[in-house]
Amino acid sequence: MLLLPKFDYEEPKSLQEALRIFSELKGKAKVIAGGTDLIVNMKKGIVAPACVVSLRRIGPLSVVDTKKTVIEIGSHVTVSELASSGFLAAALPVLAKAAATLGSPLIRNRATIGGNIVTARPAADLPPALMVLGAKVELKSKGKKRTVPLDGFFTGPGSTVMDDDEVLTKIVTPGIPPFTGTDYVKLMHRATLEIAIVAVASRITLDGPAGPIKDARIVLNAVAPKAVHAVSAERFLLGERPSEELFTEAARRAMDDASPIDDIRGGAAYRREMVGILTKRALSKALDEVRGRETRGAR
Amino acid sequence: MKKLISLSVNGKEYELAAASNKTLTQALRDDLGLLGTKEGCGVGDCGACTVIMDGKPVNSCLILAVQAVGSEITTIEGIAGTGGLHPIQKAFVDLGAIQCGFCTPGMILSAKGLLDSKPEPTEREIREALSGNLCRCTGYQKIVEAVQEAAKTMKKEQRRDYHEGV
Ligand SMILES: Cc1cc2nc3c(=O)[nH]c(=O)nc-3n(C[C@H](O)[C@H](O)[C@H](O)COP(=O)(O)OP(=O)(O)OC[C@H]3O[C@@H](n4cnc5c(N)ncnc54)[C@H](O)[C@@H]3O)c2cc1C
Ligand code: FES
Ligand code: FES
Repeated sequence: MLLLPKFDYEEPKSLQEALRIFSELKGKAKVIAGGTDLIVNMKKGIVAPACVVSLRRIGPLSVVDTKKTVIEIGSHVTVSELASSGFLAAALPVLAKAAATLGSPLIRNRATIGGNIVTARPAADLPPALMVLGAKVELKSKGKKRTVPLDGFFTGPGSTVMDDDEVLTKIVTPGIPPFTGTDYVKLMHRATLEIAIVAVASRITLDGPAGPIKDARIVLNAVAPKAVHAVSAERFLLGERPSEELFTEAARRAMDDASPIDDIRGGAAYRREMVGILTKRALSKALDEVRGRETRGAR
Repeated sequence: MKKLISLSVNGKEYELAAASNKTLTQALRDDLGLLGTKEGCGVGDCGACTVIMDGKPVNSCLILAVQAVGSEITTIEGIAGTGGLHPIQKAFVDLGAIQCGFCTPGMILSAKGLLDSKPEPTEREIREALSGNLCRCTGYQKIVEAVQEAAKTMKKEQRRDYHEGV
């Protein structure tokens, strides 16, 4: 049986109290949210914080809120809530879709959005969806607050721009503009309890109902040290009219944007090939979604 | 350091002294003597440790006992009524959905989590709801059939309760 090392446990009732603990203990304390990463890593001896600080009593962290132009998701909102909320499925379908592929139903009932971001695994499912949405994260420490775009948040596998004393409090994402479609496709060996071999998040915005592509975002997962934009593919799509040939060429460029490695889940060459296939599918699906939204809207 | 904590399990309050590194699985098994909850992998992969926490099935091997304070926990010991086995338990027995039995408490609790929120699930929804619970013996088919059977029984019982005004 895998046992946990010893540690102190704190359960502050307010964010201020939590931030004070982190400022006093410097790097010795770690947040526990759902614990689905932290407890596994502690059991395996990968991390050993002296103090574990639960955020579960800090109510505002579990709230989803709609402001004028943005949607704010508290860091403690669970993945199952993201996957099952009717509001989020309508407002941010790509996030709901990515959430539904994460872990198992049991894991999703505990895992949180904040934990999935901070843990910074190269194959984590929510960051690519949030990156195509243009999400930012709010980081707080004692007496300080900053907002960082997710695009610049990850610095490598398991590492981010966060300081030891910072807590991720919420994720802020703009809503989806008109004539926009999105998708998240994840390639796995089986449908549950699988980290992605490759995954792709897509988003395209057209300039009017039949217009050319005004904005294109493609984020590749599990094929680089962190989730990355397929920059040359995105650039290639801008200003063009969507078509099968266009998406085939964009997918080819996305393959060059990836830098996959060989590991137990798949070889580098196979992964690169799959980036092409999944990118094309994700773009076609996003286009279908734009058209679906339009016909629904027109009715 | 151990702390005195109180856990609400199957409708009963238990007091125990728990170190912060004790998992909920350990507290249930070692302190409360509720051995129905199993520990398989210990890292979230197998579902043998499944319990229902505030209405949702979760992996108790990834939860600290101190994190469960204030929550309502249901283990396999808590689902049979005074009249005998819970319909899901009965269907598992009747339809041969149990072989070695190690996965069974987790399977049944995941199934209960599903049927409580969705009384008439499709086969696909059943397979999805049980997908975090691994079974080395049965090949799953009989488990899925047992959950379908249990759903029917539970619906009939509900209708009967309604007509008898219970
Ligand atoms: C069996 C299994 C299957 C899994 N499958 C997948 C999968 O398919 N896809 C996937 O992406 N992930 C998967 N995971 C990983 C994990 O479940 C997710 O990354 C999950 O979202 C982590 O969230 P959590 O709340 O459990 O994080 P925790 O374990 O609580 O925390 C993770 C890390 O983030 C830090 N942290 C958490 N919240 C905050 C915060 N608000 N501020 C600052 N730091 C914080 C913690 O200190 C810790 O270092 C799986 C895990 C298991 C055990
Ligand atoms: S023992 Fe908890 S999931 Fe395997
Ligand atoms: S009956 Fe043996 S593991 Fe399922």
